Amino acid sequence: MAELLLDPNIRLWVFLPIVIITFLVGIVRHYVSIILSSQKKIELLQVQDSQVMIRARLLRENGKYLPRQSFAMRRHWFNNEETGYFKVQKRAATSQNPMTDPGMMTDMLKGNVTNVLPMIVIGGWINWMFSGFLTTKVPFPLTLRFKPMLQRGVELAYLDASWVSSASWYFLNVFGLRTIYALVLGENNAADQSKIMQEQMSGAAMAMPPDPKAAFKAEWEALEITEHKWALATIETDLLASFVEKEKTH
Amino acid sequence: MSVVKLKDNKPEPVAYSDAALRNNAVVVEYCRTSMAALSGSTAGVLGLTGLNGFAFYVFSVVVLWVMFMIKAGPNWHKYYVSRQSLLTSGFFGALFTYVLFWTFIYGMVHVY
Repeated sequence: MAELLLDPNIRLWVFLPIVIITFLVGIVRHYVSIILSSQKKIELLQVQDSQVMIRARLLRENGKYLPRQSFAMRRHWFNNEETGYFKVQKRAATSQNPMTDPGMMTDMLKGNVTNVLPMIVIGGWINWMFSGFLTTKVPFPLTLRFKPMLQRGVELAYLDASWVSSASWYFLNVFGLRTIYALVLGENNAADQSKIMQEQMSGAAMAMPPDPKAAFKAEWEALEITEHKWALATIETDLLASFVEKEKTH
Repeated sequence: MSVVKLKDNKPEPVAYSDAALRNNAVVVEYCRTSMAALSGSTAGVLGLTGLNGFAFYVFSVVVLWVMFMIKAGPNWHKYYVSRQSLLTSGFFGALFTYVLFWTFIYGMVHVY
């Protein structure tokens, strides 16, 4: 395979600009998505529901450390036929169709605007502006299968597969620069991540049951069949025994 | 008595802080990306081709791992759950960055 000689002007006016354009477009996209992103609204009632669910679960799991009367009192508050929380609260079953939720629709649209649209527009522009150049050569041999991937826009049957055309160089950059954005936009990304982390910390409370009615019913049932078995019934003798054990070893 | 014995038999459960672990993972990922970009540029400037370049990548991953270990010192288990996963995690993700930089710098320096 004979070596090709490329004009150094291609390096200056095609190869380098594609890298720079891809990189800067990625950064602009990052900031545009920050502008467009909307805070998710949380309804008070949903938070209340999920907190009640957590309390009921805690009672179910750790109720054995409470005296029988305290346990019964708390369960009564949840489960009493007339006044119990799970019986009194009536929640309408919410329909979970994202298409009917306008907020969800705008979110999807924003995702498309910030991700897909620049890809198509910039990709098309690069294809039109820099079409037909061979820009570089990957420094390792590749099989013929890679030819359509790496030589988009240059249909030469006998060209070695490791040469890269301009359009393909653009796509390589789009996919390869993702990790670099994490590096360059580090502070913003770090802020985002800490935000996510905060959400995860309080996430148990924020994760709303999709259908509170069914969740309430399930929790009511689970609480109803929980049998109270006091774990601390023999605590005095256990403690004394452990003291005796210690005395013996010393 | 039986309670005490049970406690002695069981290995002490180790509690990890979730937030701290995740922070460590983010920092390691940051280092890994930087390493991939720098070593990719180095390989491009040196003009490595073919298997030499990939061997250089493996070499730089191992060097980074050794640097982590030196930095963490003898009590590395305070910071990472496992040493092996520190070596292998993100291997292919960083490889992509490495290849991109390698190709880029190689093209800039050696092709034209």
